[in-house]
Amino acid sequence: MRRFDRRWWRAVALGAALAIAGAGIFGGLFALSGLYNVAASREHFAITNAIIRLTLTRSVETRSMGVEVPDLSDERLAALGARHFAVGCVPCHASPGSKQNPIVAEMYPAPPPLTEAAEKWDSEELFWIVKHGLKFTGMPSWPALERDDEIWALVAFLERLPASDAEDYAALAGGQGEGDDTSLDFGDGEGMTEALCESCHGNADARPVHPLAPALAGQKQAYLLRALEEYADGKRPSGMMQTIATALAHDELARLAGHYAQATSSAAPVGNPDVLAIARGEQIARNGVREDDVPACLACHGEGTSAQFPRLDGLAPEYISTQLSLFRDGVRQRSTYSAIMKPIADRLTERQISDLAAYFSSLPRQPGTAFLRPEGAR
Amino acid sequence: MRFGKGWVFRAIALSALPGIASCSGVQSALSPRGVEALRIDPLFWTSAAVGLAVTLMVVILVAAALYGPPRWRERLSGDRMLIGGGIVLPIIVLTGLFTYGLLVMQAGAVRGEQETDATVTITGKLWWWEVVYEGPDGKAVLSANELRLPVGRPVRLRLESDNVIHSFWAPQIAGKLDMIPGRTNEVVVEATEPAVSRGQCAEYCGGAHALMAFYVVAMAQAEYDAWLAREAGPAVEPVSEEAARGREIFFEHGCGACHQVRGTEARGVIGPDLTHVGSRKSLAAGMMSNDAQAFARWIVDNQHIKPENKMPPFGQFSEEELSALAAYLDSLE
Ligand code: HEC
Ligand code: HEC
Ligand code: HEC
Ligand code: HEC
Ligand SMILES: [Cu+2]
Repeated sequence: MRRFDRRWWRAVALGAALAIAGAGIFGGLFALSGLYNVAASREHFAITNAIIRLTLTRSVETRSMGVEVPDLSDERLAALGARHFAVGCVPCHASPGSKQNPIVAEMYPAPPPLTEAAEKWDSEELFWIVKHGLKFTGMPSWPALERDDEIWALVAFLERLPASDAEDYAALAGGQGEGDDTSLDFGDGEGMTEALCESCHGNADARPVHPLAPALAGQKQAYLLRALEEYADGKRPSGMMQTIATALAHDELARLAGHYAQATSSAAPVGNPDVLAIARGEQIARNGVREDDVPACLACHGEGTSAQFPRLDGLAPEYISTQLSLFRDGVRQRSTYSAIMKPIADRLTERQISDLAAYFSSLPRQPGTAFLRPEGAR
Repeated sequence: MRFGKGWVFRAIALSALPGIASCSGVQSALSPRGVEALRIDPLFWTSAAVGLAVTLMVVILVAAALYGPPRWRERLSGDRMLIGGGIVLPIIVLTGLFTYGLLVMQAGAVRGEQETDATVTITGKLWWWEVVYEGPDGKAVLSANELRLPVGRPVRLRLESDNVIHSFWAPQIAGKLDMIPGRTNEVVVEATEPAVSRGQCAEYCGGAHALMAFYVVAMAQAEYDAWLAREAGPAVEPVSEEAARGREIFFEHGCGACHQVRGTEARGVIGPDLTHVGSRKSLAAGMMSNDAQAFARWIVDNQHIKPENKMPPFGQFSEEELSALAAYLDSLE
């Protein structure tokens, strides 16, 4: 018993304190001395690497617990993800069918090809990585952390990537995967043409690739331009659109707004078999709901209203309900105009939202410019 | 240290100041200008006087019990004092006051039974008042945030609510009466002289309750008739170019989604009727003066002026657009 008396404990404590102080002083001197080599050209020791990998893997596994995975089976969702992937991820990760930019390849750690990512990580882990990024690696977090819905599109895509060869990938990415995509240039007007926009937003013949992206043809020009400016200024959170709008010069945004305001679409409106829902939606859109303080939508979104108030006819039901949720959740509320719509969205019930979405999506969008009230109608 | 004699008087005068200040003014119950309020007035003064007398008596008795000569103190501790002062006196005084109160209420109820040839329906909203008159041709005339009364003529007020409980209180005209969802409370009021007074919601009804007031304008019969005929009519056409531009803006920016302007296609029912908003005494349920500047301020900044109210803020207008819109609203007399 003598061995563990008080003097023994005191000696142990002193020894520990000295060891800690010594380590601190040594570490400080090491950092100050400049002896550590931060060069990306020098690899970690194998043991350092193993520790880093273990830490990273365990962190992702633990932090992604509790993430709920939505239904990712919709092929259109994966296609939307693929189209953002071509713009936002390929410059680092490359794609099947493209070679990694040599500069990027010398990042340390280098962005790996993502064809195996879905084998390595579960859906919720992929979601967590794409949302939050990986510290110290160069893997960025999602530009709009409020937009889980967009991030899931990327996950849906990554889960289909292992099965893809270059051709499958190009099909999923709507042609955006081909060509000169190893460039780190996010585009200054040259590569970001209408073809890019239409790969997500559809065109005269095709609906948008997924209803999260709205049809643009015939929307009011002033509204389109303001929307693009708000994405570029970070006032309207969307990881997909912020990436694109920020990369384009203002003149180009204005040109595109003009272009799409004039464009027409012959794509038929989304059919909705629920005629009763459409009728209920029309009733609310025309007359509002007095007891819920819901105003008539068409007073602002109908003919002859401000060029800054978007038209809703022909938008997909999912897009309408997503945007209404974004208003309600305070995600889309940083602009003067969203302050008008937010309190109105707050008053709608889920049922009213789905009826309104059914109604507006059932309307064919008439060619844009005629969308002004005839003179003297009031 | 000794206080001069004046000290006591000054203290009493000072403590009475807030009371005196609220005795005059547009919202004072102590300057009655309606038959109901005039009947309540003596009830108030009687109760106040009796209360004061009882308080004085108690103070004197306590002082006597503590410091009086032994003979007084002995008297005070007797059974007779206890039964007389502690049981009999309160019963007499309280029964008297109670009966008086009942009589006043009964008089109001009797007036409520009587036929009137004018009816106004007032509905408590969140957080403003919808006021519906009976027009010259018997048709409903929609207005808001102000009650006009013809002097010397009994008017039946029908008080309703379609949301939560409010209480309608125009102190110079009548007592409080609750507005209860699903039922109609009625009171017959009669203004006794032409005057403008103010009223207020007197039952907590959420967010902007404290900012829910209104004006009562009592006017001579002939004036009232002329006013009602005008109120029943459609909105005037804008005369100035600026006001005409303001009307365009009013429609382009969706104000008609919530507001009605009779004679135009603005048919909204969520906010107050604006057909003759320019002729009202106030804006936003008694919160602001009624002039072009106040209109402009309300449109842009209403969520700060009246937090939580149901109108969205419209911050998008240029200065020209805003003054045109304000000019239009101001011209709606
Ligand atoms: C600036 C370059 C860069 C961009 C842009 C980038 N990443 Fe990464 N990403 C990295 C790097 C570097 C790593 C490697 C981390 C490591 O070694 O653990 C990585 C890792 C990943 C991983 C984990 C892969 C694995 O095998 O462990 C996924 C998944 C991923 N990125 C997805 C994406 C997606 C989706 C996008 C586009 C939204 C994207 N990345 C954009 C640099 C980038
Ligand atoms: C990767 C897919 C993708 C591409 C490519 C893309 N968009 Fe979008 N866009 C979206 C999504 C998703 C939204 C909805 C974002 C939101 O919820 O705010 C959107 C929204 C918009 C809006 C707002 C529309 C409205 O009704 O509010 C405009 C304008 C727009 N995009 C223009 C463009 C233009 C111009 C281009 C080409 C330069 C482009 N987009 C390219 C996916 C894309
Ligand atoms: C008082 C005018 C007003 C009324 C009434 C109104 N809105 Fe809006 N709404 C707006 C404005 C302004 C915007 C643009 C907001 C922005 O740019 O952030 C908007 C935007 C929207 C959007 C987004 C469109 C897009 O392309 O992204 C939807 C969806 C919408 N409103 C639905 C409705 C519905 C449904 C109703 C009826 C219940 C309604 N609105 C009533 C003013 C109004
Ligand atoms: C979503 C419905 C809604 C819209 C849209 C709306 N208002 Fe209002 N407005 C209200 C409500 C509700 C009130 C009552 C606020 C209160 O006092 O609590 C009000 C009050 C007013 C008042 C004061 C009326 C009075 O009797 O004192 C004016 C003036 C007014 N609004 C003008 C406008 C103008 C101009 C626009 C368009 C730029 C507009 N409103 C758009 C709901 C709306
Ligand atoms: Cu109240």
